[in-house]
Amino acid sequence: MKNTIYIFSDGELKRKDNTIFFENENGKKFIPVENTSEIMIFGEVTLNKRFLEFLTQSEIILHFFNRYEYYVGSYYPREHLNSGYVILKQAEHYNDQNKRLFLAQKFIEGSYKNMIVVLKYYNNRGTDLNKIILSIEELSKKIYDTKSISELMAYEGNIRDIYYLAFDNIIGIEEFNFQRRTKRPPLNYLNTLISFGNSLIYTTVLSEIYKTHLDPRIGYLHSTNFRSFTLNLDIAEIFKPIIVDRIIFSLLGRKKISTDDFENNLEGIILKEKGMKTFVEEFQSKLETVINHPHIGKSATYRTIIRMEAYKIEKHIIGDEEYNPFISQW
Amino acid sequence: MFVIFVYDVNQKRVNKVLKTARKYLNWVQNSVLEGEITEGNFKKLKIELKRIIKEDEDSLIFYTFESLKYSSREIIGLKKGGEELIL
Repeated sequence: MKNTIYIFSDGELKRKDNTIFFENENGKKFIPVENTSEIMIFGEVTLNKRFLEFLTQSEIILHFFNRYEYYVGSYYPREHLNSGYVILKQAEHYNDQNKRLFLAQKFIEGSYKNMIVVLKYYNNRGTDLNKIILSIEELSKKIYDTKSISELMAYEGNIRDIYYLAFDNIIGIEEFNFQRRTKRPPLNYLNTLISFGNSLIYTTVLSEIYKTHLDPRIGYLHSTNFRSFTLNLDIAEIFKPIIVDRIIFSLLGRKKISTDDFENNLEGIILKEKGMKTFVEEFQSKLETVINHPHIGKSATYRTIIRMEAYKIEKHIIGDEEYNPFISQW
Repeated sequence: MFVIFVYDVNQKRVNKVLKTARKYLNWVQNSVLEGEITEGNFKKLKIELKRIIKEDEDSLIFYTFESLKYSSREIIGLKKGGEELIL
């Protein structure tokens, strides 16, 4: 498995001796190019075109985040796995209302079922969440009857609202009360953590899509537009509860992140560097966690499972095998 | 698999060996590198290195591990290099 490199410090990234070289006042560091698949950049980093050319050759993706931790964009090297056939099929599934709705419903299905898996885990551990689980199950029946994407999105929004109600019970720390979901900027500590985790998962899924034939610009639940990648947002919906939310619960439960790890800023509340590093370490070890995959009957890391999800979508659109989302077993 | 690579080569070729190995592994100390590597990349690395060295003069040693479960790593004194994913 190739590594992800996270850069928080400021410095210069360049090509040197046919590998990646990072230099700043604290020292010099060679990064093995053959063992790297993506670089996440949070610090102020200088780089040049020669370096980007080298990354294209080595099929390494760069993801940039600004100083408020928002996702800025990616350097997505020219597609190395080109398949006109898959792109045509992908577009066909977007243009056909029924085909598009089918996939969108599947993403929501994966999302809510994984939410329930997370809630049930905490329910069994003595946090009473039965009511919330029941009302999500009740609402979720309607998603299969929806006739349009906007209708589906409305139900998804309702499910998510109910789901977030459970957060305060699970976390049980007053400073980390949920209140309501706020983005751009997040207005309280918990929202900051959710936003940060979500942007990490979006970029991770994007990196995994890069290893398949799929075009990340054509999504199904999220409308395709002129600006951004959307397929990664769709797939991320399935994994947010079991990866991001679980990380947040466990970090707060073990008191690894406290209010000291945040700072108040004109742009809302942001994580300090130490807090970000703690989160990223946890995120990284989560992705490397090996679990049993029911579909193939073998064990795999979460990162591999994300990539397999992309393969399953590819299989679905070329008519090989109907897509069913990954549902966590515990 | 995980590999520890140590080399003792003629001074003229030290730099070439280091530069090649750094593409695949993390530098740890003078003449020592280590890291996670795939079978394919390991073969590539060995082929590239064979082209550089003179087999009657230089010596390269690879220690490979299927898993690091039964190993431990202890440093006394300075930490000079090694893998870092968060910079």
